[in-house]
Amino acid sequence: MAIADVKEYTHLTPEEVEQIGRELDQIRADIEESRGAADAAYINRLIMVQRGLAAAGRVTIGYGSWSRRGRVPALVAGSAMLGLAKILENMEIGHNVMHGQWDWMNDPEIHSSNWEWDTAQPAEQWKHSHNYVHHQFTNVLGYDNDIGYGILRMAREQKWSPANLGQPVYNALLATLFQWGVALHDLDIERIRRREKDPKELKRQLRQLWRKVRRQAAKDYLIYPALGGQGWRHTIAANAAANLTRNLWSYVIIFCGHFPDGAVHFTEEEIQDETREEWYLRQILGAANFQGGPLLHILSGNLGFQIEHHLYPDLPSNRYAEISGRVRALCDKYDIPYTTGPLHRQYGQALRTIIKLSLPNHLTSRDDPAPPERADTSDRPAQHRRRRSDAERPPRRIELGGWSLQPDRSGDSDHQEV
Amino acid sequence: MDPDPRRFDELSRDAELGVPVPFACVSAREVDPRRVPQCALSRVCGICGAGLGRPLAFVGSPEEAARNAFHFPPAHLACAEALLAAYDGVEAAVLGQQKPLGSWAVVTTAGFEFVRPSRGQVDARPTFQPNSLLEERRVR
Repeated sequence: MAIADVKEYTHLTPEEVEQIGRELDQIRADIEESRGAADAAYINRLIMVQRGLAAAGRVTIGYGSWSRRGRVPALVAGSAMLGLAKILENMEIGHNVMHGQWDWMNDPEIHSSNWEWDTAQPAEQWKHSHNYVHHQFTNVLGYDNDIGYGILRMAREQKWSPANLGQPVYNALLATLFQWGVALHDLDIERIRRREKDPKELKRQLRQLWRKVRRQAAKDYLIYPALGGQGWRHTIAANAAANLTRNLWSYVIIFCGHFPDGAVHFTEEEIQDETREEWYLRQILGAANFQGGPLLHILSGNLGFQIEHHLYPDLPSNRYAEISGRVRALCDKYDIPYTTGPLHRQYGQALRTIIKLSLPNHLTSRDDPAPPERADTSDRPAQHRRRRSDAERPPRRIELGGWSLQPDRSGDSDHQEV
Repeated sequence: MDPDPRRFDELSRDAELGVPVPFACVSAREVDPRRVPQCALSRVCGICGAGLGRPLAFVGSPEEAARNAFHFPPAHLACAEALLAAYDGVEAAVLGQQKPLGSWAVVTTAGFEFVRPSRGQVDARPTFQPNSLLEERRVR
C-alpha cells in the first residue's frame, strides 16, 4: 500500500500523479526564480515592526509599573503590544526563519542556523521535532508527534484509555501553558518513561533546555520587573499576560493546521517508498487551511496557508497567499480535496474532535459531524500509541518508489471500497 | 534519528578504512538514508551532527557541483575541510559516491533546497541544491 492508495487519490492515474508533481515543482521554481529584494524588504520591515512593538510594550509596561497615574491602561496597552510582538516573533518570524525560508538572503542574523526565538524551546530542538519529525512524517500515526502532542487522542485509530476522559482539561492546560508544552516536545517524555532515550542525549537536551528556560524566565520575570522598581509585581503580571496571549493564539493556530475535518491521518504502510509526487499529495491531504485577511495571516505566521507551508516549508511565507491560488486551482483541476474554512470553524472542528475522542469509539458516531478520520483505516485494530524513536523510522529506499512495487494496485478493490 | 552531535575528533572510525564516519553515514562508504532528511530538515551538520552555521558547505564530486545537486548533506565548512583532509589518500568510493574520486568539490552557500526523488528518476536519492552560492573550490 502506498499513499496513492488513499481513497482521495485512487481516481488519479499514475500519469496524473506525475503531472501534479511536475506542476507543483513548477510553482516552486517560479517562486525561487522571482524571490528577491521585495521579499527581503518584507521580512526586514516585519522584524523592525516587531522589535518596535516589543520595545514600546516594555516601555509602556515600565511606565505603568512606576506611575500610579494611568497604571491600568498603560499595563493593558503595554501587555497587548508585548503579546503582539511575541506572536509576530514566534509565528511569522521565528518559525519561518528556522525553516530556512530566508537563508537565501545570506543575512548573518535572519538565518535558520542563527535564529533563537522568544519562547522556551531551544531552536535546535524545535528544528528536530518540528522541521524534521513533523514535516517529514506529517500526520503519520505513530511517527508524527504533533498528533495530539503525546497527551491528546486526535484520531480514532489511536487506542482509547480512561485517561483520555480528561482530554478537555488537558487541552485547556495545553493551550494555557503552550510554550512549556512545546518546550518539552522534543524530549519525548514517553521514551524517557520507557527508559529508551539515550541518557547522554537526554542530559544534553535537558542542559540546553534549562539554559533557555532560565534565560526566558529571567528576562520576563526578573530583569524587566527589577527595572519596574516598586511596581515589579505589575510588570510580572503584564509580562505573564503577554505570554499567555501568545500561548493561546499559537495554540489555536497550530491546532487549526492538522485537526479540522478533512485533514487525513496516514499509516506507516502508506509512506513506504514514497516518491516526491506522493509526498506532495500527502502534504495536501494532511493539512488544513483557514481563511482570513492579510493581517490575520501575518499574525498566524501565514499558517492559514498550512497546505502551502507543508508543500513548500522553505519558501518565503509572504508568498504563500500567491501560491495558494495556484495550488487550489490544481486541486480543483484534479479533484483533490483542499481543506479550508473560516478560523472559528476550523478551530471548532478541532475542539469537537478533542472532546469527542475523549470517549471510546463505540460511544461516538462516525457520521456527521465527523472527526478527521479515514473511513478506510478507522475500523482497523487500534494502534498502540507508543511513539517511535527516530531509529525506528523507516529509511527511504534507494530503488524506485512504491509505484514499481504495485503495478496493479488500481485494481485492488480493498482499497477502493470505503 | 536522535540528534547526536560529536566533535570531529570524537567521530567513530570506519572498521575497514580507518577514517572518521560522519554523522550522516553508516560507514565511510555508505550514507545513511534516514540521516539525510534529518540533516536537511533539522539543519544539522552531516559530519558532526551539531546545528549548522554560516556558510553551509557541500562536499561532493565535481559532477555534483556542476549539476548543483549534492547527495551528501550540508556541513560546517571546518568539518568539511577536516573530513576531506582525513579522507585524503583513501582509494575507495566514500561518502555515498559510486566511484573513487580524484578530486572533491567544496561549495559554500547561504541556503539550499532539499529535493526529494521523483518517480522515474534514475538516481532515486534526494539531493541538496545550493541556492545562493558563495564559493566553489576543488580539493585533491
